[in-house]
Amino acid sequence: MTMTTTAPPPAHALDVSERGPAAQGSRHDEVVVALSPAFGGFFTRTIVDVPHGSVLRELFAGIEEEGASLRVIRVTHSADLAIVAFAGAKLSGSGIGVGVLSRGTTVIHQRDLPRLSNLELFPQAPLLDLETFRAIGRNAARYAKGETPQPVPVRNDFMARPRWQAKAALLHNKEMEFVRSGKPVELEVAIGR
Amino acid sequence: MSLIVGVDIGNSTTEACVAEVEGSGRAYLGSGLAATTGVKGTVPNVTGAARAIERALLRAGRALEEVDAILLNEATPVISGLAMETITETIITESTMIGHNPQTPGGEGLGVGVTVAFERLAARAPGDGPAIVVIAASVDFEEAAAALNAAAARGVEVAGAVVQRDDARLIANRLDRPVPIVDEVTHVERVPLGMAAAVEVAGPGRAVRTLSNSYGLATVFDLTPEETRVVAPVARALTGTRSAVVVRTPGGDVTDRRIPAGTLELHGERAKRTVDVNGGAEEIMAALRRVQPLADVVGEAGSHVGGMLAGVRETMADLTGDAIGDVRIRDVLAADTFVPREVRGGLAGEFALENAVALAAMVRTSRGPIEQVARALAQESGVEVVVGGVEAEMAVRGALTTPGTAAPVAVLDLGGGSTDAALARGEEQVATYHAAGAGDLVTKLIGSELGIDDRELAEHVKTCPLAKVESLFHVRLEDGTVQYFDAPLPAETFARVVALTEEGGMVPIPTRHGLDRIRRVRRDAKRRVFAVNALRALREVAEHGTVRGIDFVVLIGGSALDFEIPELVAEALADHGVVCGTGNVRAVEGPRNAVATGLVEAWGRERGPAAAGRSAAPAAEARS
Repeated sequence: MTMTTTAPPPAHALDVSERGPAAQGSRHDEVVVALSPAFGGFFTRTIVDVPHGSVLRELFAGIEEEGASLRVIRVTHSADLAIVAFAGAKLSGSGIGVGVLSRGTTVIHQRDLPRLSNLELFPQAPLLDLETFRAIGRNAARYAKGETPQPVPVRNDFMARPRWQAKAALLHNKEMEFVRSGKPVELEVAIGR
Repeated sequence: MSLIVGVDIGNSTTEACVAEVEGSGRAYLGSGLAATTGVKGTVPNVTGAARAIERALLRAGRALEEVDAILLNEATPVISGLAMETITETIITESTMIGHNPQTPGGEGLGVGVTVAFERLAARAPGDGPAIVVIAASVDFEEAAAALNAAAARGVEVAGAVVQRDDARLIANRLDRPVPIVDEVTHVERVPLGMAAAVEVAGPGRAVRTLSNSYGLATVFDLTPEETRVVAPVARALTGTRSAVVVRTPGGDVTDRRIPAGTLELHGERAKRTVDVNGGAEEIMAALRRVQPLADVVGEAGSHVGGMLAGVRETMADLTGDAIGDVRIRDVLAADTFVPREVRGGLAGEFALENAVALAAMVRTSRGPIEQVARALAQESGVEVVVGGVEAEMAVRGALTTPGTAAPVAVLDLGGGSTDAALARGEEQVATYHAAGAGDLVTKLIGSELGIDDRELAEHVKTCPLAKVESLFHVRLEDGTVQYFDAPLPAETFARVVALTEEGGMVPIPTRHGLDRIRRVRRDAKRRVFAVNALRALREVAEHGTVRGIDFVVLIGGSALDFEIPELVAEALADHGVVCGTGNVRAVEGPRNAVATGLVEAWGRERGPAAAGRSAAPAAEARS
């Protein structure tokens, strides 16, 4: 399992800058990646220390490999994954959004779904490694292109909850401190090597 | 006036109908349906029969106490079995080729060079000739792209790449001069290094052209006519793929081996023939025609088919208490099919569609313990139970209540385990034939050809029309039309091909196959079983074996309820000038309830069922 202290994956520096209010997308092959308030800001790593730069790099790579286009926004008014991802899906030209929380929890959303529903949910952040993030990006792009992807296999560890719940709660409380009212903002993301 | 209940115990469903009988008048009051409990014609049937009777009486608004007699069909146990034998196998030796369809290969065109490990690329000099770089999963895509660019800048010619991860387009996007790249090659470490190789990637929607052409390969690798002959199977194996890699190794080859699948001994009443299962369905069925009438079939021990035949025999022997040696297989149906199998020696986990033969077999006995069933049912219901009425004859009588039919009429009962034909010839004689293979075989063919292990899901694919969920508010149906919805569809159906169930539900079909392909597999499977069996069975009951002599065919049975099987059968029979349609028993029941209705119709008439405790004479088999 990738949970504890195997060699840390190579960190990719992440540089995120805000570029004003996020616009409604018009490209039909677009995937919007929606980040939570403190992602790549106060927080730089997921709950299992996967660097945020590497998370985005793999998500982006998955989307690029499928030939879809990509936009990144930050949702500032909530740290709830469903709301973050749904805001991204609403703004996406294809209707497909990927929401990511600072601690790593991820979901693929679609704009016509009820907000608390989803296409694919990855609820156990401690089990999400780089390969999974790549696969999530790939599948999101395939949905955007109107293809029929096989859902990303979700691993399940029933010990993850007791083991990580306390840390997850702390991280969530911390992320809540960064919630402020306002519309989603467009982000420019640079990932170093 | 008496109140009569007709009960038909079928292989999978038990049907009942209630009628008031007064002389030759019949007033039908209601009918009921229940799943058959236990093997048809055995005592456990009583539970299902009682349930069907109860439902019919409820519809009729009558009580069990008012019933004067229950009529039971002469149900005899029918046991059918299915088995599949794979008969071909594709083997790649010495890792000569990779022909697969990664979703996203990189670059485009043809690259020819010598295979070089990624780690050795830096050591390569400009004069060393073009290189096909082999990149393992441990190499990041940015690192790979940077190294390929650096090599090219040094003057080393990079002609193409073979990549383990799903990185082809990521690398190609980062190259100064894109080259063809094939990715998702699972066993990249097995690619032989230092060998002449070619990588080809076709544009979207196209297939490779050079490597799938024997002379293209000969040109690329500078082959002699002798050598070209050897690589021909490689070219053939690559036909239709979007990307391919061929490595030229001294002993490399692709072979299409036939797996010994055993033999089948067909014992006719007059002749005996041994046929290789390897020969495929056509050969088996041709041999079968030659030995008709069939007396028994024996499969080779150790083969799937042999095991299945032995299993069928054993189940029947257990049921009837006969010795296994006395149980005879009365009919078999072979159908050609294919199963997706991983290619042995393949580097990218390639799948090839291997040929297989599916075989359905059937054994039936005329000595079912039906009297015991009747006794148990009489005890349970407290009503006199009358056994009798040759099933086929009753089916004809019931089918004749369909508006627009007239004797002589042939009845085709499309069931789950067997396809049965009955033809009333003249006054006294009903010819019958029971052909192995029906709905269950269709389900099996669909399952194996689409790689669906879940039987229930395969059943859905068989019985329901398809649609592709294009957005949460609309689907495209299999005829190309679009249907819109006011409320969003369930999330799990999004972007999937779904089966539209009768109740309006949508069952997602989790395969890679597109809608068109699933539809084609479904229709082909039905045609191979029902169209073939309809003709086979009718030929057996028809006078002089000519289907043309039959004017009317009425389809009954559960599979006649299917949305396309009647149409496929009618299509096959139209060639023989036969009018064929789905029955509508008593103008209300559709293809259901024919035998139960026939029992009531026949009751009290001169050719009616025999008295209780006596079984009627078995059907005159159509062996003139």
